[in-house]
Amino acid sequence: MGLTGREEQIRAAPATPLQTAQSFLTNTVDSSIMKPADEKGLRAWWSRSERKVVPYVFISPFYILFIVFSVGPLIYALYLSLHRWPGSGPMRHVGLGNYTYLAGDPVFLKSLWNTVYYAIGAFLFILPLALVLALLINSTLIRIKSLFRIGYFLPILTSTVAATIMFLLIFNNQFGLINQGLALLGIPALKWLDEELVKISVLAVATWRYTGINVLYFLTGLQSIPPELYEAAQVDGAGAWAQFRYITIPQLRPIALFVGVVTMIGSFQLFAEPLLLANGGPNDASLTIANYLYRMGFTNAKLGYGSAIGWVLALIIFGLSFIQLYLFGAFRKED
Amino acid sequence: MDDTLTRRAQRTLAYGFLFFILIAMATPFVWMLSNTIKEQSEIFQMPPTLIPEEPHLRNYVSLFVDFDFARHFLNSAFIAVVHTVSHLFLASLAGFAFAKYTFPLKNFLFLVLLGSMMVPLYTIFIPLFVLVIRLGLVNSYAGVIIPGVAGAFGIFFMKQSMEAVPGELLDSARIDGASEFRIYWQIALPLVRPALAVLAVLAFMGSWNDFVWPLVVLRSRELQTLPVVMAGMVNLYRMEYGVVMAASLLSTMPILLLFLALQKQFLAGLTVGAVKS
Repeated sequence: MGLTGREEQIRAAPATPLQTAQSFLTNTVDSSIMKPADEKGLRAWWSRSERKVVPYVFISPFYILFIVFSVGPLIYALYLSLHRWPGSGPMRHVGLGNYTYLAGDPVFLKSLWNTVYYAIGAFLFILPLALVLALLINSTLIRIKSLFRIGYFLPILTSTVAATIMFLLIFNNQFGLINQGLALLGIPALKWLDEELVKISVLAVATWRYTGINVLYFLTGLQSIPPELYEAAQVDGAGAWAQFRYITIPQLRPIALFVGVVTMIGSFQLFAEPLLLANGGPNDASLTIANYLYRMGFTNAKLGYGSAIGWVLALIIFGLSFIQLYLFGAFRKED
Repeated sequence: MDDTLTRRAQRTLAYGFLFFILIAMATPFVWMLSNTIKEQSEIFQMPPTLIPEEPHLRNYVSLFVDFDFARHFLNSAFIAVVHTVSHLFLASLAGFAFAKYTFPLKNFLFLVLLGSMMVPLYTIFIPLFVLVIRLGLVNSYAGVIIPGVAGAFGIFFMKQSMEAVPGELLDSARIDGASEFRIYWQIALPLVRPALAVLAVLAFMGSWNDFVWPLVVLRSRELQTLPVVMAGMVNLYRMEYGVVMAASLLSTMPILLLFLALQKQFLAGLTVGAVKS
């Protein structure tokens, strides 16, 4: 390697970081002191094996933290879920009691249904909307693309707390902006935060916050489709619909899988929106699994029961991820 | 002739729809802004007023005087900065190792890393809280920061850009006797500065907006971060809407400014995970 290699580097890329690196190199060359070859002990061992040991040292913080703060708690959650424990004092082993109770707990089943409702809503509403917006922005019809890309993206910069707070004044049952607008049209006010409509309102907040990021994901997918595919199709006389059906949709498959899995995982962990918009109510109508877990584990100090809810949630998420990967053929070998 | 006409109609429709959605998305921001400078009675007023009849800043004053907003803003800022700096260090170090070394079990360890992103937060939520109590970290900034400081996404993200660092450059430094850490710190790190900037914004945003973990860890009010305090201000029966809206707006400003300053790198960086998977 030696000098020639380094000179090539210097000539190839005169960017600032490279210059920094280069000047560093020159400095070390000037100041380096040649060590005697017969140096023994720890230092010799280290100079021999530094390159073998160092990568493990560099990655170890992640694995230590992962084991302490994820794997450990994951196992401990399983252990807790087999016990009854109010957070202090002795634990009582109850076997699968928490799980069998969970299966018949009407509030849990309600929260499960609500969560599924939000997930289905996200797939039926947020993702199609995001796909349509991405297709429009990507089409040749539209010239000012970045205005929309950035405009749609801004909502996700707000915290879920700030976002939900904004919507309190939009969905308020009496004087919310939507009802004020309806009143101007002579339509009587709708109770957006009551049992019948509250899930729709939660979905609206989620749509507002998460559409833009999915537009970006779909746009990335659309822009990675090789234009030659469309050119070839046009030569063969394929119309706009045929191109969409036989090029765009199949080519979007990988990004659609990614978006699908992320959306599903996100929907099943919805927490702040229903909590702040309606405190999980009224009558638990907006309560999610995560809300119920928090209520059981922290408000009611049923740590065993809360942990059982957590494990059921994990199994649901793993199961659905697996099904999605399977349906999209992620496990099939490419031939 | 006919063709251009339908094309013009299509274009009008497309723009119409895109602008309709854009306005719908901007409305909550505008409505919030307008309500921060209104009297509570005017917020409830029919018909709604976009520009307040008597605009004033009393809501903002009340935020700082009655709710100690500056303190909570600084709490959020401190936690976000410490989180961001430590996350950047750990993620780039591990990303460097995965990109630039071959070592036994590398592929397996990387698979574990990717798998760690699948662990749902709420499943480990309760035991993690018990653990943080046992470690004496409850009600401390450290308890908020440490559990999430070495996120797998950051390592994955940094590995991508570290791969572009030329290996010859590292080898010549080795010949010159530089230690491996020094090679990482003084050669690799400066070369991936753009990626570090993107990850910094992402990490800062994640920490700044984080709600549920700080909610359970930070028990005493003077330590609490903005989202936690704002959530506490929400009371479905009696609430100072103008003040809450002002808090919501001010808490969004740092991220908004950061994003507008760095939007290009930011948007490119966000989609890295999507492309690669």
